[in-house]
Amino acid sequence: MPNNDYIPIRSEIREIIRHTAHEWTFRMTWADALSVKPSQFFEISLPKYGESPISVSGIAPGLLDFTIRKIGHVTNELFNYKEGDTLYIRGPYGNGFDLERYKGKELVIVAGGTGVSPVRGVIEYFADHMDETCGIQVIAGFRDANEILFRTDFAKWRQVMDITMTLDTGEPTEEYGIGLVTKYIPDLKIHDPATAEAIIAGPPAMIKFAAKALAETGFPEEHMWVDESRRMCCGLGKCGHCRVNDTYICADGPVFNYTTVKQLSD
Amino acid sequence: MGFELSTGGVNAFLRELARTGRVVAPVRFEGGGAFTGTDCVRYAEVTDIENVVFDEKSRFSFRELLLPPSQTLFYFTEDSITEPTPETRDTIIFLRSCDLHAVKRLDEICRGGANPDYYYEQRRKNVKFVLMGCKKAFDSCFCVDMGTNISDNYDLSIEPDGDGWHLDCKNAEWEPLLRAQGGTETPVTPAHVTETKTRVSIPDDLDFSVAKSKLWDEYDKRCIACGRCNFSCPTCTCFSMQDLFYQDNPKTGERRRVLASCMVDGFSDMAGGVVYRKNHGARMRYKVLHKVYDFKKRSGFHMCVGCGRCDDVCPEYISFSHIVNRLGDAMKEVSEHAE
Amino acid sequence: MDMNTAKLKKNAFRVTKERGLAASRIRVPGGHMDARFLAIIQEIAEKYGNGTVHITNRQGFEVPGIDFTDMPKVNELLQSIIEGLEINQEEMNCGYPASGTRNINACIGARVCPYGCYDTSAFAQRMEKAVFPNDLHFKIAFTGCHNDCAKVRMHDFGIIGMTLPQFDPNRCVSCGACVKKCQTKSVGALTLVNFRPERNHKKCIGCGECVLACPDAAWMRSKETYYRLTLLGRSGKKNPRMGVNFIKWCDEESIIKIVCNTYEYVKEYIDPNAPGGKEHIGYIVDRTGVPEFLKWALRDVTLPEIAEVSSPLYWNGIRYSE
Repeated sequence: MPNNDYIPIRSEIREIIRHTAHEWTFRMTWADALSVKPSQFFEISLPKYGESPISVSGIAPGLLDFTIRKIGHVTNELFNYKEGDTLYIRGPYGNGFDLERYKGKELVIVAGGTGVSPVRGVIEYFADHMDETCGIQVIAGFRDANEILFRTDFAKWRQVMDITMTLDTGEPTEEYGIGLVTKYIPDLKIHDPATAEAIIAGPPAMIKFAAKALAETGFPEEHMWVDESRRMCCGLGKCGHCRVNDTYICADGPVFNYTTVKQLSD
Repeated sequence: MGFELSTGGVNAFLRELARTGRVVAPVRFEGGGAFTGTDCVRYAEVTDIENVVFDEKSRFSFRELLLPPSQTLFYFTEDSITEPTPETRDTIIFLRSCDLHAVKRLDEICRGGANPDYYYEQRRKNVKFVLMGCKKAFDSCFCVDMGTNISDNYDLSIEPDGDGWHLDCKNAEWEPLLRAQGGTETPVTPAHVTETKTRVSIPDDLDFSVAKSKLWDEYDKRCIACGRCNFSCPTCTCFSMQDLFYQDNPKTGERRRVLASCMVDGFSDMAGGVVYRKNHGARMRYKVLHKVYDFKKRSGFHMCVGCGRCDDVCPEYISFSHIVNRLGDAMKEVSEHAE
Repeated sequence: MDMNTAKLKKNAFRVTKERGLAASRIRVPGGHMDARFLAIIQEIAEKYGNGTVHITNRQGFEVPGIDFTDMPKVNELLQSIIEGLEINQEEMNCGYPASGTRNINACIGARVCPYGCYDTSAFAQRMEKAVFPNDLHFKIAFTGCHNDCAKVRMHDFGIIGMTLPQFDPNRCVSCGACVKKCQTKSVGALTLVNFRPERNHKKCIGCGECVLACPDAAWMRSKETYYRLTLLGRSGKKNPRMGVNFIKWCDEESIIKIVCNTYEYVKEYIDPNAPGGKEHIGYIVDRTGVPEFLKWALRDVTLPEIAEVSSPLYWNGIRYSE
């Protein structure tokens, strides 16, 4: 008999980091955390309320971060939980970002809104291992100042890498500029676009325009990696909700090469 | 080994099987149709072969025995999770050749991939199949064109012959049982159809570009997105999860999964309001291409087995086989526009 | 010319505008018959009438332009229709024995219509057998579901078909179709509780929309057919009004018994001076009071346990004098 993949496993909330009113990071226990890759996801399971697929936004020994937007039935309930409470999770699911691919290369990361969560693990890794990259540039966009996620992380990362933060609306400060992420893509300093790699994560429209802008800088589409999202339910490639044609976002992705993403017609 | 057996003999054999298992077959639910005075042929336990309906196609397929419309995955209390007691008896399923080919599809979906489905396997491992020979095709059948009209991976085949029954047994454990009930050996080849009134042809050059065809627009209006096509389909396996707590004891509850339909509202809705395939025509395209194109890209064989149930049950008289036959023209339309 | 018009009328002919000419009124209980009878109606119209036929409001045929002297011949031709439709008759070849109790109407019902909850024509024919011939002015109509296409609430007795929906939770896939349909097309008796529909029996009118909407046969019709019996609707010059709810979840036997009992009641209480011996039952009930009517109507009636009898009964309607 195969394992019962549907049975979730108990996990304790160690810390809750409140970024905004409706976006919190839950730091939770998971024994084998170090084998989890950024952008893999877990089903956060609140018995009697349901499950919600959430990507891993941070990885530490025995601990996983899940940055969660309060947006539906399950997440609304989750926001009533406190540090020390336990809930259930199952995973990890999906392919996640393959860090090996980006090592020794120039890396561009373009992320918008909650799209920053799945790439946070990648940024964090290279921030700690700057010797393993030939240069990393991050463009992160948020709607407004109240929506900024991982503010202290960004401040920390800024010490070691090229970080551009931008808001859709507001007044520019030292911390961030104003405008869409695509505005900053032509300013990227890429020495060899032919070998550089890019990661894009965020809302569908942002992904599309960011990819286009990157391509215009000479970036080959084959080197762009996108974190896709769809309605997910089982996380196991079985329930069918996230299928787009012959692709299961949960099992084949959620990270896809942009050449594949372009073919996805819902 | 082929056998000839009387009705009494077959029934005695079924009773033998029922000692350790449950025998399920298409039976007539009188008054079970949606309209007054109409019946519904669907699966239920049987004890007598006379109650098995051979001359009519079942409204729903055997699929519900392996993937029930609603299935409890586990129960939870405040601090425990308990699986329901699984069915351990054998399940002996009567089905036609098209449906037996559907089993291969279900196995591919549920047993395949990195994460075989635990609950499917729990049921699947105890299943045995009895092939119901088809002497002639029903109007909407198109098994021959889908290559599903002949099956040989059964435990037993059965079909009426005069007053008695012809059976072909491939299950060594069942042979002595058949002999004991007075079965006389005779060569038996299960009946199968070689031609169908409904024909389908899937264009060789079919690809996702057909999504751009105007073909689908017609179904924006015609299709009511009720999901009957999916729920009657022997190869539809999609499901949704549900968590609930009991009203009389809110500290306990269960998680279950229920069949889902890619035609019904909400299938691809995301928390936060993003909706994919809002138009019914787009859903139709998504379903049809999965059945006769993209499933094959992944697995090497078509998902659709040509049982024709989706045609039979559509309240709006939308014919799946007709859509498949329009794909050729749709491809032409799309490629002409591309040029 | 001498003609006993009372006898003529009782024989289901109408005294018409044209002196010496009658119209033959052919009853078709349940409004459904073999098409071959149309040929006979055609023959009557062409041979003895003026070549036309009127399709009546009560689902019969009226053949005008028949000379009084031809009425016996028309009656002879009518014989095969009377026999074919199994109309109770006292003497052969003499036409219809009464006309007071009108043809019994039915919508097309479950023989054809997907919404129909029972065979309306068959029940109408059974009712016809039980009450005809009778000179009392009774109007009875059957309709398959609460759509009431037969407008039974304009009749003394209206019979509306119902089914008691049976739910199999194991087949429910929570698609919500039943809840939506009940809300938009019917009374909104269904709500989703824990992903599954919960039926409010008090609200439910047994229309079967949930059964029709369900894509997975989780909702099924009950083996038993139930009926709503509505009471004492009428048209007319005095006080037209809709029939009111009388019994919900009623059974076939009880309905027939109640109607037959009402004939006894009317015989007892009808105004002996009523013009043409015709008085709508409702006016009689206004006179005797509802309790007296109920005493008669429900005599020896055993309603099914599920049946709900409305009380008090109250009619309103249109009053031209106000």
